[in-house]
Amino acid sequence: MKNIILTFVILTGGFLIYGTIDMPAWGDPQSPANSYVSPRYIEQALEKTETPNIVTAVLADYRGYDTMGETTVIFTAAIACALLLRGSTVGRKESE
Amino acid sequence: MLEFIISKYNFWFYVVLMMIGLFAMLAKRNLVKKLIGMNIFQTAIILFYVSIGVKKGSVHVPIIIGGHGHGVQLIHAADYLNPLPHVLMLTAIVVSIATTGVALAVMILIYNRYQTLNEDEIIHIRQARQEAGV
Repeated sequence: MKNIILTFVILTGGFLIYGTIDMPAWGDPQSPANSYVSPRYIEQALEKTETPNIVTAVLADYRGYDTMGETTVIFTAAIACALLLRGSTVGRKESE
Repeated sequence: MLEFIISKYNFWFYVVLMMIGLFAMLAKRNLVKKLIGMNIFQTAIILFYVSIGVKKGSVHVPIIIGGHGHGVQLIHAADYLNPLPHVLMLTAIVVSIATTGVALAVMILIYNRYQTLNEDEIIHIRQARQEAGV
């Protein structure tokens, strides 16, 4: 079983490394990720949001609703943990 | 050839890290080790995305210099790192924390019921209990 998994994992890794051949070079300023939208954010974030930190500007201003939804994710996870662990302690048997 | 390797080798490290995580998720029988594998997998993806935003040369972190109201020069996009992968990975980190927390909570319940976190033993105990009619 472990051999099958190892073969599968090595095969998947080989395909992924084959895929990196088409990736732009590391640190290339002209790569697609660095050239279409992101210059607009960098140049206009301070003017439009008055926030020097661009990551904060995008997170809290441009994507404010997304971040609000993210807090819902965290809240749901916290509620799920609280309900699952209600009244239980580690190592205690259920029947006790 | 050497130039090709230098421009791509960081992606290969992330692929190796990702495959370590995938192997742990598939091959390990202990549930905690599976969860650690999932976290390694997520970390590899986060590193991959952050490395996409790198620009070589004299660039700054994406915080505008002099942005607090005094003397902002004209902002050139080439002087700052790409902030968008950082933002996206902030979201991914939040999701990974949430999944890890819930998974650990579920594991505590599994341990309380079966007194083990080994998958094979759990399946064995389940079968034994079903046959006993509990």
